[in-house]
Amino acid sequence: MASSSTNKFVLKSNDDVSFEVTEAVAREFQVIAHIIDDDCAKKAIPLSNVTGEILSKMIEYGKKHIEEAPVDEEDEEGKKKLQIWDEEFMKQFNMEIVFQLILASNYLNNKGLLDLTCCTVADHIKDMTPDEVRTLFNVKNDYTTEEEEEIRKENSWAFE
Amino acid sequence: MSSLEEKKKKRKTTTKKPQSTPNASLPNELLLNIFARISRLHYPSLSLASYGFRSRLTSRDLYRDRIKLGNTESCLYVCLKFPPDTNPCWFTLSLKPEKEKKKSGRYVLAKLPIRNSPPAHCSGLVALGSDIYNIGGSTDDSPSACVSFLDCWSNTWKLGPDMCVERNYAAANVVDGKIYVAGGCKGCDNSNWMEVFDPKTHTWELVSCPVNVKEKCGCDVGISAGMNGKVYGFGKCKTFGKYIGLAYDTKENTWIQTIWKMDMGSYKVIENVLYYYHLGEFKWLDIKKRRGGELKGLERLPKFASDACVKLADYGGKMAVLWDKFVPLPSSGYKDKMIWCAVIALERRSGKEMWGTIEWFDTVLTVPKSYEFVSALSVIV
Repeated sequence: MASSSTNKFVLKSNDDVSFEVTEAVAREFQVIAHIIDDDCAKKAIPLSNVTGEILSKMIEYGKKHIEEAPVDEEDEEGKKKLQIWDEEFMKQFNMEIVFQLILASNYLNNKGLLDLTCCTVADHIKDMTPDEVRTLFNVKNDYTTEEEEEIRKENSWAFE
Repeated sequence: MSSLEEKKKKRKTTTKKPQSTPNASLPNELLLNIFARISRLHYPSLSLASYGFRSRLTSRDLYRDRIKLGNTESCLYVCLKFPPDTNPCWFTLSLKPEKEKKKSGRYVLAKLPIRNSPPAHCSGLVALGSDIYNIGGSTDDSPSACVSFLDCWSNTWKLGPDMCVERNYAAANVVDGKIYVAGGCKGCDNSNWMEVFDPKTHTWELVSCPVNVKEKCGCDVGISAGMNGKVYGFGKCKTFGKYIGLAYDTKENTWIQTIWKMDMGSYKVIENVLYYYHLGEFKWLDIKKRRGGELKGLERLPKFASDACVKLADYGGKMAVLWDKFVPLPSSGYKDKMIWCAVIALERRSGKEMWGTIEWFDTVLTVPKSYEFVSALSVIV
């Protein structure tokens, strides 16, 4: 524990922004933990899929979860505090950033942040109209003309 | 002609111009991770976005994720018939997209995009886990051993193994994760009156009855229920003011003759307590503890018309009540009915009283008055 709080690593984003973090924070991201374990982390660790903007937010999240980690499984107050912080943390982002955070936390394998970001999107889209969902996810309406007609007829409630 | 055909079959490849800030597309695995966190109530609306979304929302992988996250929940399915069509239509309870925070009018029965659902009869439909089983024949003079089930993950009908005996309007009940089917067979006798389906082995087995079923119940079952490890089946006609029937204890493998005196309009067993609606009142009955009475706390519920069709469902330990009412507009010519739904949480107080808390009620569908309400059931998905 002592070594992981003193050992420092440099994480480098794909747009060449470097962040110096403690080993404990670096280990919050499993992919980086593996790199450290494999002893390949002598120099800066390049992260080809993450921008500096996103990486800084991920490090902020990782740091908070190290510093404010609940004492144990029964530390309900600690858990609640962290949960409130998580909610506030997510409020600052628009969906574009949230999508990037999802991709990055998946890539760097941080389950906590992946869960949090996926929940944020889930909560955001559940009450959306079909059109709004298409726009957000950048998906095409690929129903056939015939299917579309039937859908509009039978599900008029969704298009009111 | 050929271009029209093409237009019909080919999925649209063009659509509105891409938005100015297209979001990075998420890979399938991450989309499923997001969907798995959303209540099933929102799936019908989300699946309208695209065919691809609909496919993902009914994929096995999504349900693997829902189970992994512990996000499975009860989902209400409703089966309605629209004569002269003999094949029923299935609906699920859903939430509409919400632009402004509205207090009511948010729930809707969304029609499932299934063509040709098999004919069904109320007593032959049971929910088991994530499936709804449709058991035996449901048209006059055509007993059948056929069993199909609606896989409520993929919303598709699949064929189950045939029963041992051909049956018509059989009574199906679930006790301890097994389906017990009684009556409705031609030439029924003690050996073939009842059979049981074990979903683990996917097999049917006859349950032999030592008493004379023809005498003690009759081949055709009217009232039936599964509770406290027992299957109850009563005949269709009253004799001296009571229905006679049999109770089979599935654990002890014993049979007793029993009677039923009450008239119940519609009824449902929820967590081993029988709830029923009759002549304007909701009542409950706990046979094991020999207690029962009025279900209290429902004053806020709208009054039902005397000829209303009322159906009860076990909605994950809560009670879902569905009833119909004419559309209150003379201009509609009283041709249409509205189906209402209420969800009521149930709570036993001091052992003697049962209280209901109305969580919400809402109109959920408008139907032609000639419609027929077959059943409402809930599955875990």
